[in-house]
Amino acid sequence: MAAIGVHLGCTSACVAVYKDGRADVVANDAGDRVTPAVVAYTENEEVVGLAAKQSRIRNISNTVMKVKQILGRSSDDPQAQKYITESKCLVIEKNGKLRYEVDTGEETKFVNPEDVARLIFSKMKETAHSVLGSDANDVVITVPFDFGEKQKNALGEAARAAGFNVLRLIHEPSAALLAYGIGQDYPTGKSNILVFKLGGTSLSVSVMEVNSGIYRVLSTNTDDNIGGTHFTETLAQYLASEFQRAFKHDVRGNARAMMKLMNSADIAKHSLSTLGSANCFLDSLYEGQDFDCNVSRARFELLCSPLFNKCIEAIRGLLEQSGFTADDINKVVLCGGSSRIPRLQQLIKDLFPSVELLNSIPPDEVIPIGAAIEAGILIGKENLLVEDSLKIECSAKDILVKGVDESGANSFTVLFPSGTPLPARRQHTLQAPGSISSVCLELYESEGKNSAKEEDKFAQVVLQDLDKKENGLRDILAVLTMKRDGSLHVTCTDQETGKCEAITIEVAS
Amino acid sequence: MLLLPSAADGQGTAISHALTSASTLCQVEPVGRWFEAFVKRRNRNASASFQELEDKKELSEESEDEELQLEEFPMLKTLDPKDWKNQDHYAVLGLGHVRYKATQRQIKAAHKAMVLKHHPDKRKAAGEPIKEGDNDYFTCITKAYEMLSDPVKRRAFNSVDPTFDNSVPSKSEAKDNFFEVFSPVFERNSRWSNKKSVPKLGDMNSSFEDVDAFYSFWYNFDSWREFSYLDEEEKEKAECRDERRWIEKQNRATRAQRKKEEMNRIRTLVDNAYSCDPRIKKFKEEEKAKKEAEKKAKAEAKRKEQEAKEKQRQAELEAARLAKEKEEEEVRQQALLAKKEKDIQKKAIKKERQKLRNSCKAWNHFSDNEAERVKMMEEVEKLCDRLELASLQCLNETLTSSTKEVGKAALEKQIEEINEQIRKEKEEAEARMRQASKNAEKSTGGSGNGSKNWSEDDLQLLIKAVNLFPAGTNSRWEVIANYMNIHSSSGVKRTAKDVIGKAKSLQKLDPHQKDDINKKAFDKFKKEHGVVPQADNATPSERFEGPCTDFTPWTTEEQKLLEQALKTYPVNTPERWEKIAEAVPGRTKKDCMKRYKELVEMVKAKKAAQEQVLNASRAKK
Repeated sequence: MAAIGVHLGCTSACVAVYKDGRADVVANDAGDRVTPAVVAYTENEEVVGLAAKQSRIRNISNTVMKVKQILGRSSDDPQAQKYITESKCLVIEKNGKLRYEVDTGEETKFVNPEDVARLIFSKMKETAHSVLGSDANDVVITVPFDFGEKQKNALGEAARAAGFNVLRLIHEPSAALLAYGIGQDYPTGKSNILVFKLGGTSLSVSVMEVNSGIYRVLSTNTDDNIGGTHFTETLAQYLASEFQRAFKHDVRGNARAMMKLMNSADIAKHSLSTLGSANCFLDSLYEGQDFDCNVSRARFELLCSPLFNKCIEAIRGLLEQSGFTADDINKVVLCGGSSRIPRLQQLIKDLFPSVELLNSIPPDEVIPIGAAIEAGILIGKENLLVEDSLKIECSAKDILVKGVDESGANSFTVLFPSGTPLPARRQHTLQAPGSISSVCLELYESEGKNSAKEEDKFAQVVLQDLDKKENGLRDILAVLTMKRDGSLHVTCTDQETGKCEAITIEVAS
Repeated sequence: MLLLPSAADGQGTAISHALTSASTLCQVEPVGRWFEAFVKRRNRNASASFQELEDKKELSEESEDEELQLEEFPMLKTLDPKDWKNQDHYAVLGLGHVRYKATQRQIKAAHKAMVLKHHPDKRKAAGEPIKEGDNDYFTCITKAYEMLSDPVKRRAFNSVDPTFDNSVPSKSEAKDNFFEVFSPVFERNSRWSNKKSVPKLGDMNSSFEDVDAFYSFWYNFDSWREFSYLDEEEKEKAECRDERRWIEKQNRATRAQRKKEEMNRIRTLVDNAYSCDPRIKKFKEEEKAKKEAEKKAKAEAKRKEQEAKEKQRQAELEAARLAKEKEEEEVRQQALLAKKEKDIQKKAIKKERQKLRNSCKAWNHFSDNEAERVKMMEEVEKLCDRLELASLQCLNETLTSSTKEVGKAALEKQIEEINEQIRKEKEEAEARMRQASKNAEKSTGGSGNGSKNWSEDDLQLLIKAVNLFPAGTNSRWEVIANYMNIHSSSGVKRTAKDVIGKAKSLQKLDPHQKDDINKKAFDKFKKEHGVVPQADNATPSERFEGPCTDFTPWTTEEQKLLEQALKTYPVNTPERWEKIAEAVPGRTKKDCMKRYKELVEMVKAKKAAQEQVLNASRAKK
């Protein structure tokens, strides 16, 4: 069974398929693994993808871009208003709904944003069918974490209209985690993951908790003022000033010249991620003047350093907001095309010196691959209906055991971490010196970090009359089972003698 | 490396306090296989160790297979392979004790064991005699395996399992021990169900829902039992297609028949059970009791409500009555008081009057002259009548305390005042009378003239409108008023009432005048004459067309009669007008002719006005 994962971003869309146990991104008919999410309306057809993006120089008023920003929003939404003022394609309100006004020669059409999204989804479906055959329609679609109910519905409807069978809508950061398979192999233990997504128009940073293989978003932060286009714009402005220096012409006021510069800057930006310098060459940019300019990576980094700082500030702010330090983060996942920028990766690495930076998958493909993996998990399953605000019981506090380390000082070990989905059972093999005849497990509950105060002790389990061993250690197996209401059952067994003690601790009502 | 400490002496396993916080609800992302596993577990309401239990179960099943005991079938060697249809294939394979519950693995294993033991080659080696060809009993084992290894054939054989007890307990059997009788029967029959989870019969304490579910399941029983095994003809034996078809048809008919019988059997079983089920009886009774109770409760509630209402009403009545009584009492008291006071006052006045008279008498009425004295007496009497108690007292005081002259002066002054007062009153009364008469006059003229002035143009317009919209027009006067308001140049808004009043006053004018008005020849004198209000003693008829000079106006009936007569006696009839006059009782020939002329004129005017309006509207367009 094959399934599809689709990520529709503001600037580009990407599709991955799950087939034979692995997920892979599919290249579109132009051979690109990422398709620009641009739709152009011409006299007799609707063009999606690269062709639409390239033709926007001549057809700007009939080219719809960044449709995701307006999808499912109403005209009184400040974000939609911002979009309407920025959009080059006229957006009007008709019958209380927002419509694009598209002039295609003889008549003026009013296009629904959902229809635009549908065209992009259709394109993605075609792309997926090029490797799967036309009967695979099951899809998982990703949405940003801050998408509202209406926006989700609009996106789902658009996908359904394109002929997809939508299995589920999942959040982008979760898809990113799933793409790297975090917490999927060994479903015990707990870790905190930072997801850094720098897309075309927005930056979103989230801290996720993975516990028992289940993901939770702890906090998230979205900034709509940093994105790939802002980097391109900065570079294009630089190129314009270079042109002005050389030819004494200011091209900033000329929309078509700026559009050409943007395209050129985009290409240069991409090559600067791998090369030390990039060349911009534009024939007859302005009044027949050709333009040729070399941009070095260092120059680019210098130009964009305010933007980089903003990104790093966003991460710092999020850590502060969620009460974490850099050491509490176990992994960092990079996604979104702009997180390819080497300088940015370096800065993040500097911020988290001891943390693994996951960037082995191309960052703009992470999310669709995660979606495809989820689709592969869901396919063939019945009753996929999951209530939207899915809440499950989790343990509230860490359960710790007190022991002594080599130096003889007291120390604590977490046996049952907080936030574990209940019911759950955790099994630990603890060790005690063989020279003693009784072992005492002192159990503490705490919200803190690997330490507890004396009054947090809630129970102790004592195993007595054990056989003494001259040297070596004895293994004590401790099994903790917590029920959905939070009551805890603890069983301790001495592995050698089989002596066993069990207690059940209820929750104070 | 963490090492556990040893326990201090005397310490044991103990709980010092309960956990302080219960589980919290956390929103999670619906992503990943562990999430799916979690949701699945939760939906099945299984604990975390469910998977392990399931694994264990599988393991135990496997081990059971290994320990499978084959029961030797004693008659095996005597079996006739030709008669395979009547053989018990489970028994042949040594699975007589497990029967339909046997797994495929068990059947396979049993077959293998049997083959190892009973294969002709083996027995030959052991020196047993072997029958030639297919006649050896080993063929039965092969056949049995053939039947049981194929799921379709196995189902067919299972359907007609010879050990299955098809009997249905009768109602009388289950009179006393319903559950003992029916429970095993349902258990037995549940193996035919297509659905996996068959509800149990339960016991006396089963809930209503359970029982209901049980019976609805059995009434809609979906059985897989089929009777192809009992087919009399074998399809495979047919030689040509037509024969095969015929056989198939035959088989289908018998199968359907058997299936029907089977369904009937189940139906009877469930019917029997249902009718005997003590729980159903119980539920019915409970339902009845419940309904009864509800009914009772309802009636009770209603009664209570009524009682409460009655009580309230009574209370209200009582309160009203009390209030009324109190009020009456008060009124009576007051009346009594007032009466007393009045009496006192009356007495005082009487006394004072007497005093005045006496004092006057004492002064010999301030005169010597007889006539003057009489006049004075009269005046004094007047004074007595009119003066109030206080002024009387005052006067008496002056009279008694002062000399004759002073007393006389005071008395005369009083008399003068009184006379003045009387005169004033009289004047006032007269003035009031005059005012009243004036008002009456005004009001009589008011309706015609109204508060609004009617200019010449307006009058013309009104006449035009009245003619334009003859009597009988729907809400005629509103329409006319509207028309006036639209076309009037004076800008005065007129209501239907105004218009009616004016029209009525106009009606009293003679027709000549009206004609004059129509022809715009309306001199000032006539206008004033027309506008002058007249006493409203005119006919109540609103019809405008009547010749209301000195004759009685034409009533509707008369008008009708006239019209009728005009129609019946065409123009060339001899002595037409005499006949018409005869047809209209109470009218002379002259009257009729006059009326006719008027009518003709009116129609003409109307037509002209209509045309004018039409032209005007056309011009507007």
